[in-house]
Amino acid sequence: MTYKYQSQAVAIPYFIAAIGLFVAQILFGLILGLQYVWGDFLFPEIPFNVARMVHTNTLIVWLLMGFMGAAYYLVPEETETELHLPWLATLMFWVFLVAAALTVAGYLLVPYATLAEFTGNALLPTMGREFLEQPTITKLGIVVVALAFLFNIGMTILKGRKTVITLVLLMGLTGLAVFFLFAFFNPTNLVMDKFWWWWVVHLWVEGVWELILGSILAFVLIKVTGVDREIIEKWLYLIIAMALITGIVGTGHHYYWIGTPEYWQWWGSIFSALEPLPFFMMTVFAFNMVNKRRRNHPNKAATLWALGTAVMAFLGAGVWGFLHTLAPVNYYTHGTQITAAHGHMAFYGAYVMINLTIISYAIPILRGREANGDRAQVIEMWAFWLMTVSIVFITLFLTGAGILQVYLQRFSDTPLSFLVVQDKIALFYWLRLIAGVTFLGGLCVYIWSFFIPGEKRAADMPAMEAQGSERGAVEAAAG
Amino acid sequence: MQTQVIAESDRYPPGDLAIWVFILAELAAFAAFFGSYAYTRMQHVALFNHYQLTLDKTAALINTFALITSSYFVVRGVAAIRENDSQGCVRWLMAALVMGGLFLIVKSQEYAHHIDEGITLSTNKFYMFYLSLTFFHFMHVIMGMVILAAVAVKARRGRYSAEQYVGVETGASYWHMVDLVWLILFPLVYVMR
Amino acid sequence: MKKRTVLGIRTCTWIWLIMMGLTLVTYTIGQAGLGGLSASLTVLVIALLKGQMVGDYFMGLKRLRGFWRWPVSLWLFLPGGLISVAFTLVG
Repeated sequence: MTYKYQSQAVAIPYFIAAIGLFVAQILFGLILGLQYVWGDFLFPEIPFNVARMVHTNTLIVWLLMGFMGAAYYLVPEETETELHLPWLATLMFWVFLVAAALTVAGYLLVPYATLAEFTGNALLPTMGREFLEQPTITKLGIVVVALAFLFNIGMTILKGRKTVITLVLLMGLTGLAVFFLFAFFNPTNLVMDKFWWWWVVHLWVEGVWELILGSILAFVLIKVTGVDREIIEKWLYLIIAMALITGIVGTGHHYYWIGTPEYWQWWGSIFSALEPLPFFMMTVFAFNMVNKRRRNHPNKAATLWALGTAVMAFLGAGVWGFLHTLAPVNYYTHGTQITAAHGHMAFYGAYVMINLTIISYAIPILRGREANGDRAQVIEMWAFWLMTVSIVFITLFLTGAGILQVYLQRFSDTPLSFLVVQDKIALFYWLRLIAGVTFLGGLCVYIWSFFIPGEKRAADMPAMEAQGSERGAVEAAAG
Repeated sequence: MQTQVIAESDRYPPGDLAIWVFILAELAAFAAFFGSYAYTRMQHVALFNHYQLTLDKTAALINTFALITSSYFVVRGVAAIRENDSQGCVRWLMAALVMGGLFLIVKSQEYAHHIDEGITLSTNKFYMFYLSLTFFHFMHVIMGMVILAAVAVKARRGRYSAEQYVGVETGASYWHMVDLVWLILFPLVYVMR
Repeated sequence: MKKRTVLGIRTCTWIWLIMMGLTLVTYTIGQAGLGGLSASLTVLVIALLKGQMVGDYFMGLKRLRGFWRWPVSLWLFLPGGLISVAFTLVG
């Protein structure tokens, strides 16, 4: 057994389910991509709004699955103690998975209004809001799962060694649970509704999730670089402080045009303009740590994912976020394809990649080897490049579509209507669809890499030449 | 060996390099705020000039004195630990904290006065900037005081010495930044018209 | 850790007193109700000078060589420049 604590193995089903839902998410993404250019594709079986709901909801669920798996894997190792209740973790996995499956089935099989009626939405209305479409009972199920999860993780941390990484992770996970409670707050005033809605949506992805991201990244970097914990923890502190300062007040960048007071335009602009900084620090941090590494971990693929996360999160969340975050710019770009471009790259770069990083690091160990063999790793790196390059192209095409859309529909002296503009930018949607298919190809290669046998240990690697051969492998994968 | 060490120490600012990355980020935020203030004022000169007169310049003077003096005390605190004088270091840091506390009290009085008059962020553009800027800075004073207090506690336990005082310098650098920002904020918001 | 070249306490004490004096000048200008471009820019220059003093002496950047000698000075240019442009344009 290569992992030290038996209970770390409860992470396995979480990771597998995460990847399964990832596949579903991408398939529905492709359906959507096609519906952009072929409006009645699969209509009336899977209308656009339903496909979109499945695409975004499966994304969120699989990221949460991944975070939970990551926590179950790294917390025992960090605290140097077994998980408090491994059976509870397994039980909650099934509860979560079944709830997710039933919810998606509900989306697909019955009309949304029927689903709402059927699940008793009238008793406590929470449905019908973007990303929070889940029936109220599913939301309650999520709360139960989250509480059981927090209890399990919290007790383990209390019992064992306390590290900065687990502390930050616990803060992030607690915040995740607390802010989700705002999903149950559904004022009838539309302005108030939107105002609090962002407390779930924004404060998750631009607040507490960044703590989870930071701690997982720090954990993997400690493992693969062997750099002193003290140095990594110091950076982690600074990054999360910066992320919270800019991210929390940065919520204001959603309050420009929804009927909130004017000062939000200033607060939102100034603070969210600084949101790229923690991501930039993360990039500097990751590359510095890898350069200063004191060991050559045989799992090169995990290192690549970790570095990729830092770079892509900075580009997607930082740069593409900054593009349209200033109020005067957002006045024109609000809710256009620019937002979609940012959304795709930010979610992939920050949260998809950090999940794939911890999966890449943990799965070989959970399967009883320090790292996969060379061939499996090279194929995994191919998957890395295929998916990453595809998402870059998806982002670029959507940015192109967005710029045109903003100009034709909102900026020009003779603005055109929405649907006329959609027709004019269809070429970009076709190109985006091609990039999306390539992404699915990358995902298939990624899954294939799990089925390639062979293993590699640190001992197999000649100490001096390790660096050179690793460069070779990375470059080979880079093509 | 020795020359190398000295050269190295003259290349990097006092304290942990990481705090300097943080300080630069903070300074960038304040610069954005100052620039926004000046830009908005351009469009509403009369309004800004009018409401600026409602501010209490004497309170701001006391606060500027308090921050400059506390910064100076922190300098003395760093000098003390460099001489291996832990107790002296603690005393200077405590004095700096007292000055920081004075700042918080005076500023709170100002806020209380504004609240009495029913002024909020939405009253007008001038108050929006005045309240946002000073409150953002106010939070930094609190943050800086927490850091200084933590350093003082550690110094009191004898964790620093003439050989090892990076922590003191780290806290000191952050505190000077809080001072530095106020030095621009004070004339910009209270005096320039 | 090796001791660095350190600026004397006496210098810092002087700097402290000078900064207190400069603050008083700013305050007097404010209390006198002086406005307009020349008064504003005077006050701004005083503020930038004080900022430079904090960077040079209190933070101790004056003795540094290389990159870190400059961030605070360069930073002062940023708000300093933006503010003086905005005030000049208004006149």
